[in-house]
Amino acid sequence: MNLSIPGIIIVAAVALLGIGFYGLLAVRNLIKVIVALQILVKGMMLGFVLAGRLAGNVTLGQSLAIIVIVVDTIVAVVGLALAVQIRQRIGSLDIKTLTSLQR
Amino acid sequence: MVFILIVAGMVVCAIMAIRASRLLISAIWLAATSALVALLMYMLGAPEVAVIELSVGAGLVTVLFVFAINISGEETPNLKSLLPRPLTWISIIAFLTLLGYFCLPAFLRSLPEAQASSLQTVLWEDRSLDVVLQALLIFAGVLGVIGLLSEGNHHPAKEHDV
Amino acid sequence: MTPTLILSIIALPWAGAILVWWTGDARPRLQNALAILFSLSAGIAALLLIPSARSETALTLPVGGVFGDFTFVADGLGVFLAAIATVIGSLAVIFSVDYMHGEAQLGRYFALVLFFIGAMAGLVLTTNLLLMFVFWEITALCSYALISFNSDDPKAVYGGIKALVMTQLGGIGLLAGALLIYSALGSYDLNLFIEKAETLPTSVLTVAAFGFLIAAAAKSAQFPFQTWLPDAMEAPTPISALIHAATMVNAGVYLLARFYPAFESVPGWKTAVVAIGVITALLAGVMALVSNDLKRVLAYSTVSQLGYMVYAIGAGGIFASQFHLLSHSVFKALLFLAAGAVIHSIGTRDMRQMGDLGKHMPLTRAVFVVGALALAGVPILNGFWSKELILEAGLAHGPIWAYAIMVFSAGLTALYTFRCVWMVFYGPAQSKHHGHDAGTAMKVALIPLAIGAVTTWLLAGPFSHLLESSLPFHDIEASTTLLFILEVITAPATLLALAVVALGLVAWWQRKRLSGLAHALQVIGKAAADSFGFEAINRAIVNAVQGGAESLRATHTGLLNWNIFGILAGLIVVLVVLAAGG
Repeated sequence: MNLSIPGIIIVAAVALLGIGFYGLLAVRNLIKVIVALQILVKGMMLGFVLAGRLAGNVTLGQSLAIIVIVVDTIVAVVGLALAVQIRQRIGSLDIKTLTSLQR
Repeated sequence: MVFILIVAGMVVCAIMAIRASRLLISAIWLAATSALVALLMYMLGAPEVAVIELSVGAGLVTVLFVFAINISGEETPNLKSLLPRPLTWISIIAFLTLLGYFCLPAFLRSLPEAQASSLQTVLWEDRSLDVVLQALLIFAGVLGVIGLLSEGNHHPAKEHDV
Repeated sequence: MTPTLILSIIALPWAGAILVWWTGDARPRLQNALAILFSLSAGIAALLLIPSARSETALTLPVGGVFGDFTFVADGLGVFLAAIATVIGSLAVIFSVDYMHGEAQLGRYFALVLFFIGAMAGLVLTTNLLLMFVFWEITALCSYALISFNSDDPKAVYGGIKALVMTQLGGIGLLAGALLIYSALGSYDLNLFIEKAETLPTSVLTVAAFGFLIAAAAKSAQFPFQTWLPDAMEAPTPISALIHAATMVNAGVYLLARFYPAFESVPGWKTAVVAIGVITALLAGVMALVSNDLKRVLAYSTVSQLGYMVYAIGAGGIFASQFHLLSHSVFKALLFLAAGAVIHSIGTRDMRQMGDLGKHMPLTRAVFVVGALALAGVPILNGFWSKELILEAGLAHGPIWAYAIMVFSAGLTALYTFRCVWMVFYGPAQSKHHGHDAGTAMKVALIPLAIGAVTTWLLAGPFSHLLESSLPFHDIEASTTLLFILEVITAPATLLALAVVALGLVAWWQRKRLSGLAHALQVIGKAAADSFGFEAINRAIVNAVQGGAESLRATHTGLLNWNIFGILAGLIVVLVVLAAGG
């Protein structure tokens, strides 16, 4: 095999994106949804760092990745808090039960 | 070669995180993915963000997951998806093909030498708006969690306003 | 010092908003105290800023290379409007303590009011177009949330949604203009834009000019967007005072005044501005004449007076328009708060059920009459001087037909003002309402405003110096108060305007004899009651937006997997377009 290092990393990033999206499409448990979201965003972060390195400005890529980490962590925290509350009030984490606004 | 091993491990971990039938196991696979991503970042010449990813992504978030799963309890998670299975696979494959097409040039490049430049300058001066917004976001996140977890005084009537 | 003051004018109300919200509704007294403390200190900061008004950039917040620096300038226009927003705003807050006493969810109320005040101050102090747009939208959001504060009242909710949809339409104009300017200039700095406006391509300048005009018309409730403001009357009365005098509608006039030097040379722009001002002033005046709702009369009078300001800008009288804005803010806040005291004590807004209320509430009557006389343009009071300055500017630089209509509207203003005062305070008592006079906090807010309505015209000289020394592009001639007085008194136009105002008074006096004429004009009255059909147009826009949103609900299944599928499909479309495009 004669893959360059950027090639390997890009495969990893795209694979993480694909797995994350698959998870979001297929999973019905709210906590699992957040897990899938995390995987998706990790792929994105890897992409940022790699792009920064390839463009010769790895620090810019890093600072963008840091922003993504912060945003992602907040999403996870608020999402988990929501999940806990939903579990306590509705009694289920299945996203199909969370459609009370539907008509 | 090391890279290929790490990437393969990472992808396996990610797949296991989605496939695991118990939430707790899933969270642990996620932590492993996160650690391997951090390792990759370190090898790419981004040690600062690797440290943050390791401590926040693999550490803090995992703790939170375990915490949340403990509170809300396990539940048989492998329900059938609401989306027809072929549709899922078609859209994922279309997405990956298109994205892969755009990524092709990366295979022809070799990794350039990392340049030394200070993260502080880039983060705090060139992207200071982002930093400010991050601070705001953290603040909003904290408020959100406080609002969500303040259990003692929730009035059922008020929920309709929100 | 200046940077600190600028920051504190914006940040103090916002910090107060968070603290008030944090305090919780269980401690209303602490909430009241915090709201008053923070709004007052912002007001004091704004007043302290006035002496240090400069045209140079006072505060630069570097935010990286992408958006340009966030710059703030404490020039005359900005400082003066920030002072109005914070001072009148804090008086409205003080008034609210009595008016909103015992209401539920005070925290939400005060937090939004403080957020509103801070956003308005930021809007007038910043010179970054993008930041300006952000503040612009925050004021729209706050006005929506406050108009529909009583969220169980469908009329209030409808009024709020209408205000939001209408001002969003304008916001699109502002954003389009700002982005075009950025693409042509490479900078969001508006002073740079005003300086280099002539070097920009005509097409860009034209689109930006009319985009900003739409934005201003929507925000200031000018023709053809004038109907959202009267519908916004469902808000608590201090909010009406805030929106009408301090924070919301001034923004449109400010926008036009700020960019006047840049758009002056755009063909047709000045005529369009004059036409909008004239049509608005006339239509709103007629509508005020036939309305029976106390707050609606005041709302229409605001629309009409804003028409005067817009007209003055179109005629090049920036100083006159801003001076009228100052007068108007004072006397309109006074009128609204006094009307709030009336409504609070008798519990209705219908003027047909009022009458002879003066006996029970002498203070309210006194201050209301002061405000009404200022609105009508009776000499000595501040409204007289500023309106005369506007009419003079219009006579000197504007088209003569516009001048004629504006003088007629001045008479109309007098007529509907006297009708309103008569019906509320003097006419025969229509019901057994026995009002009680205003409470202490209400008095604290009303009396300074009444004093202001009598005295602010004395500031004409210093005010013109303030604007002249710090606005390099606007060609404002500074003068002293004495010279302004002489100018107004000696101008023959003043006599004409005064005669028309007197005619309006006489017309009300002799209304019985004029009943034949009134019958003849009944058709107009009917049309006016329906807002000349523009109500229907505006309602159609709002209903179209709401209907569109309703029908899109079918696509919102609430099932996360399908939502993600939609997102992924969108991403695939974007990728396909990118791949096909190159």
